[in-house]
Amino acid sequence: MPRGHIHPISSLIREANAIFYKMGFTIAEGPLLESEWYNFDALNVPKDHPARDMQDTFYIKDEPGYVLRTHTSGVQIRYMTEQMKKGILPPYRIIAPGKCFRNEATDMTHEAEFFQIEGLAVGEDITLAHLKGTFARFFSAIFSGNVEIRFRPSFFPFTEPSIEVDMRLTGENAPEKLRDTWIEVGGAGMIHPKVLQNCGVDSKKYQGYAFGPGLDRIAMLKWGIDDIRLMHSADLRFINQF
Amino acid sequence: MLISRLWLQRFFDIPLPPALALADALTFHAFEIETVEGETLDVKVTPNRGHDCLSHRGIAKEISAILNISLTHDPLKKPMSGFTKSRYLNVSIENPSLCSRYIAGYIRGVKVGPSPDWLKDHLESVGQKSINNVVDAANFVMFHIGQPMHIFDARTLASKSKQKTENSEQLKILVRNAKKGEKIETLEGKEYELSDSMLVVLDANSIKPIAIAGVKGGKFAEVTEITTDIILEAANFDGVSVRKTAQALKLRTDASTRFEQILSPEMAAIGMRELVDLIKEIAGGEVEGFVDEYHRKQKNAAVLTTSKQINHILGTDINEDKISDTFTRLGFPFDIKSSVFVITPTFERLDIAIPEDLAEEVGRIIGYEKIPGIELPSLDSAVDKPQINENFYTAEHVREKLISMGYSEVYTSVFSDKGERRVANKVGGERPFLRSNLLDGLKEAVERNVFNKDVLGIKEVKLFEIGTIWDAGMEEVVVGIAGENEEASQLPLSKYRDEISEIKKFEDYPASSTKRYKSFSRFPFIVRDIALWVAGTTAAEDVEKVIKQNAGDFLVRIELFDRFEKNSKVSLAFRLVFQSFDKTLTDKEVNLLMENLYVAAKKKGWDVR
Repeated sequence: MPRGHIHPISSLIREANAIFYKMGFTIAEGPLLESEWYNFDALNVPKDHPARDMQDTFYIKDEPGYVLRTHTSGVQIRYMTEQMKKGILPPYRIIAPGKCFRNEATDMTHEAEFFQIEGLAVGEDITLAHLKGTFARFFSAIFSGNVEIRFRPSFFPFTEPSIEVDMRLTGENAPEKLRDTWIEVGGAGMIHPKVLQNCGVDSKKYQGYAFGPGLDRIAMLKWGIDDIRLMHSADLRFINQF
Repeated sequence: MLISRLWLQRFFDIPLPPALALADALTFHAFEIETVEGETLDVKVTPNRGHDCLSHRGIAKEISAILNISLTHDPLKKPMSGFTKSRYLNVSIENPSLCSRYIAGYIRGVKVGPSPDWLKDHLESVGQKSINNVVDAANFVMFHIGQPMHIFDARTLASKSKQKTENSEQLKILVRNAKKGEKIETLEGKEYELSDSMLVVLDANSIKPIAIAGVKGGKFAEVTEITTDIILEAANFDGVSVRKTAQALKLRTDASTRFEQILSPEMAAIGMRELVDLIKEIAGGEVEGFVDEYHRKQKNAAVLTTSKQINHILGTDINEDKISDTFTRLGFPFDIKSSVFVITPTFERLDIAIPEDLAEEVGRIIGYEKIPGIELPSLDSAVDKPQINENFYTAEHVREKLISMGYSEVYTSVFSDKGERRVANKVGGERPFLRSNLLDGLKEAVERNVFNKDVLGIKEVKLFEIGTIWDAGMEEVVVGIAGENEEASQLPLSKYRDEISEIKKFEDYPASSTKRYKSFSRFPFIVRDIALWVAGTTAAEDVEKVIKQNAGDFLVRIELFDRFEKNSKVSLAFRLVFQSFDKTLTDKEVNLLMENLYVAAKKKGWDVR
């Protein structure tokens, strides 16, 4: 019997796990049907923030207070809260790869179901410089080549400062289509002190970064996949290429 | 938000760099730029900066700080001379928590007419139509400094009292929550029914709503060509209330999008002064006076930080002078007391509240490229070493086992046409349930893939999925298996945990070694078999090569599926799959291709069986 094939997202998560494990990260997880506390409130997304509007978030009938998670960021809250309850103080390093949801019409680049990889590093002296270093190491491993990382200003309620991350692949190993061009890879920033406080972490003593790039997008860049809807197509004409 | 470079120039004495250079400066130090067309930039202002940046002044201030060029004409810095009290106007606010300030100005004897060309050009450059000089002036002020303004025809309000003796003719404006079912016709002539959570502006004498507060003006007090006396409104309405009203009425306007972001009540006074000055300039008239109901004054709290703290967040080594320089460029007044920066953000910068906000200002103005990339510190203590996540480990174990058994991994949608839990608000409304099993999705996937076996070159479709289901009131990760020759089945992932005796170490399973994905044709394919008698000494690979060379570009797969020998000759049977990327192939087309192959085979001395 010939071997079967791995889904490209699973392969990417496998690879990401190996890279981050070497940097001291543990995999953390949380439910897909998430409470508004973990998905919004604790992440400093105020009650009347536009992100909570009906058009973006899937709400569940007869279950007020619950949503299909709109990002993996709620896992940050779950993990830190649990550690604090157990009396385990930072340093914390986790990644949380997993499925997220956005209530929108789908097309070649938008899917209602998509994958994100959350990352978090908290300690006494974790800075934006570490974030840059972490991204450089991760993306140079994923794209097996030389990577430059660039930050642009952005905004997320749960990080301050907030940034958007771009990368540029250089050198002969880089796929020709991506070589030497800046590509947006995801949002990140320094965890907002209110988020740390919401988990019971002393924000005067500890600080850290968090990031949440989309895995579908990274997979699409890595392999030149042209349609995000293939990810959930269960079509072996797609899967069997991996 | 559309921003015109020429409009920005009004704030500066020295000529601004070209639009593309401004776009670059903003991209790397402030906001994403969606497009640049000629002299117009489409700037994506982030929600935290809606307080101060939804205007040309806001963007000009950013450019001034980023490029370190002086903002010589800043309306926010121009001294205020105060408002003369009106003898005729009266304003009352029923609920100051939803309207912290309301300034009304009374101007008589204006001449409504076309706007001057410069004003028309400015408005057109940001996609706005010119209406008349008075209305345009109000729009201009909003796009100029970000404070929404409104103008009422005063005569429509005064109509109650015909005798115009001193003090007898009191114009009364009331801001209150709408009565349930209260109706208003807006400027467009559309009628809206209001609810009691919405704020309205009324002519208190006639109890007629004249505007949906912060959203849209009413038809009743509209400024027309015959208007001579006007009341100017510069108010501060509560952001959440305006947002909910605009949402409920499906009436988002340039005014409501600005109030939604929460504005400083100080801006109302600046808006009023700017509008009065502009109207006097382009429409004439005499200012009678103002009413300024300002109940909840803004308090500006100082934020404290140090250069050590800022560097500790950014991971940089920026000296105190450079940090001071950033605050100067941003126009933030500050003191340094024994290395502590005591910073009072300017009133319009409602986003600056904690030291981290200041770190962001320094980081982005100085430039994030100044931040080095460094490795994380090593984790010394054993308790801090990474743990192995049991669920992930188990999932990887199962994945590897199933793949080695010939199963391929798929992800199917969690949305289904049946299940226990239902999504309340799904766009499109299709498949609104959360799946209660993996089997339905997997069986469907098997059926769809069976049709493609030939083009895939596989003997049997075998699939698995590791995914979440919602069943018996629980969310659970299960492993589902399905194939064309087996009954679909599923087991909770936790059951597989028992197969693993002890999780000792990190397992480095192989990732896919595929370099690039090749898109596949969505058109139907056609299968043909060809069997040839060849000499026993002829290698199958050589025959395959000849077929490939002569079958044309539509041949997407070739496979040897049968071989036998007889009398020193060998019969080789190949299965050929033809498919086009841009059309459905016909039998006739493929027959022709096969004919070519027969000819080529004969030339080689091979007999077609």
